[in-house]
Amino acid sequence: MIKVKNIIKSYGNGESRSQVLQSISLEIKEGDFVVILGASGSGKSTFLNIISGLERPDSGKVFYDGVDITALSDDKLTAFRKENIGFIFQQYYLLPNMDVDKNVKMGADLASNKDYKEIIEAVGLREKLHKYPNELSGGEQQRVSVARALAKKPKVLFLDEPTGALDELTGRQVLDYICKLKKQYGFTIVMVTHNSNIAEMAKTVIKMNSGKISGTYQNEVQKNAYEIGW
Amino acid sequence: MRLDGDDMLIGIKNASKLIGISIISCCAVLVCTMFLNFYLDVQSIESEITSELSMVFYNAQVSTAKVVCFVSGGCLLITSVIMLMFYIKHYIDTHKKELGILKALGYSNLKIAKNFWIFGISAFIGTVIGFIGAFLLMPKFYALQNADKMLPEITVHFHPTIFLYFVVLPTIFFSVLAIGYAWYKLHTPVLLLLKDNLQVTAKLTKHRAEKSRDLSFIEDLKKNTLKSKKVLVFFIIFASFCYSAMTQMSFSMKDLSSEMMGAMILMIGLVLAFTTLFLAITTVIRGNTKTIAMMRVFGYSQKECCKAILGGYRPISYIGFVIGTIYQYTLLRIMVDIVFKDVAGVPVYEFDLPVMLISLVTFIIVYEILMFVYSDRIKKISIKEIMID
Repeated sequence: MIKVKNIIKSYGNGESRSQVLQSISLEIKEGDFVVILGASGSGKSTFLNIISGLERPDSGKVFYDGVDITALSDDKLTAFRKENIGFIFQQYYLLPNMDVDKNVKMGADLASNKDYKEIIEAVGLREKLHKYPNELSGGEQQRVSVARALAKKPKVLFLDEPTGALDELTGRQVLDYICKLKKQYGFTIVMVTHNSNIAEMAKTVIKMNSGKISGTYQNEVQKNAYEIGW
Repeated sequence: MRLDGDDMLIGIKNASKLIGISIISCCAVLVCTMFLNFYLDVQSIESEITSELSMVFYNAQVSTAKVVCFVSGGCLLITSVIMLMFYIKHYIDTHKKELGILKALGYSNLKIAKNFWIFGISAFIGTVIGFIGAFLLMPKFYALQNADKMLPEITVHFHPTIFLYFVVLPTIFFSVLAIGYAWYKLHTPVLLLLKDNLQVTAKLTKHRAEKSRDLSFIEDLKKNTLKSKKVLVFFIIFASFCYSAMTQMSFSMKDLSSEMMGAMILMIGLVLAFTTLFLAITTVIRGNTKTIAMMRVFGYSQKECCKAILGGYRPISYIGFVIGTIYQYTLLRIMVDIVFKDVAGVPVYEFDLPVMLISLVTFIIVYEILMFVYSDRIKKISIKEIMID
């Protein structure tokens, strides 16, 4: 479903120019659960931004069902994200002046999803529907972020260190919710993390180091959020 | 921001952002200095007036000078004060973390607030330019005010008290106001300053959700954007008010006053309108950069982002236009019916519908062009903005 060919990305100019991604190619199958594992500075977040259409590569192509998204105009890329992509970030990025209901509605309206409250219920936030982000714990905010991303019914869900700002218990809860919802809705997951324990939940693990893929493997058994180490 | 306490917390660079206050105070001082100076100079020739007709004309000129001074000066002073307070609050809101660190380190509110005196410089720059500008225009202004030679020759004099009232005192007033308001605003607990967005919803009322439950996200965000910074609503109203009142007044009073007065009013109106509108909309967009970036990440189009962030201000601007129309009509009615009631040969004043319609059409065109320009600015907001903290 997603085909990445020879992605190269650099930042800076002149002597300070550094190549963050060095000709990366890979394929992600529909419905897969992929974890991109790497240390800080390995280029995994840049790679996630490029394959999700948030950023453009210097060269290389990203195909979704044969459509090269790197060749799309900004407006078409926005429309592509609207129809296909969901995001969950480490820092949640909820809208502070909007309550839980409205934050999730932000995603739901894009897919004309009238039943978005089911997802709020599924992430256990029914009682917090009219609470504002600052009235919620970190874990609850991340669950709102999960609900917001899924309310737009994405085909692919991208997660950038979704548990990076959470404690162990809350982190496990959030991952558990995501896995349960994946089973229910069947979307593809591409998650970036530095935590090798979380990689045990994935079907496919892609290891990154210094802007290159250093290894790829499949987990024979996918553990659940409460079985992995932390 | 430098953390060594004796150095400046806020530099000239920050004060330079208060160009809106400089422009408004410049306009206020320009108009008020001209009219007050004229008022004082014209009083000095009162004993030389012999005919009754000249005396009536003299009284009308004195009354006009007083009315213009109070109305323009008062209106623009209030706007400058609101703008200054808005900027200080905005500065504190956008520098919460730095200010929180200083407070956590033990700097007192007063010590931090004292650095805000520099905001008075913006008023100083504006008032000095306005004062000098007034004196440059004054010979021509005096000649036009007495074009029919109904009064003896009026000479331009420098009145130090005007300099004191319109330059020195406003600078001190704005500096003290800046310190006082900053000191008041800094009474926020350290933790609230350090933790972003923590107090955002403290002011939100309980009945908030009921009405907006059925609105779409875009409509709700539009409402929220308006509610979150009410002072910007005031600025948009003020901008369209200035445009409406001053453009209509400058053309409607062509039979009542000199061309120079008309041109001056038009120029001041346009400067005030554009400055205020520019500052207000820039602030709206800057304040919503992350929201816009997040919307773009999720796939909202540029048009939808513009509708949500800027769309709510359109009806507000029309309200400002209507208020401006009523204001200019009332003011000219008062001038004709009360101030000049005893002056012979004052033309009949009626509401000028064609001028109002032309003003409305140009207002709509200018407003929509500005919105188009700003929508392009929204388009240029990088979706990576959300990741930059």
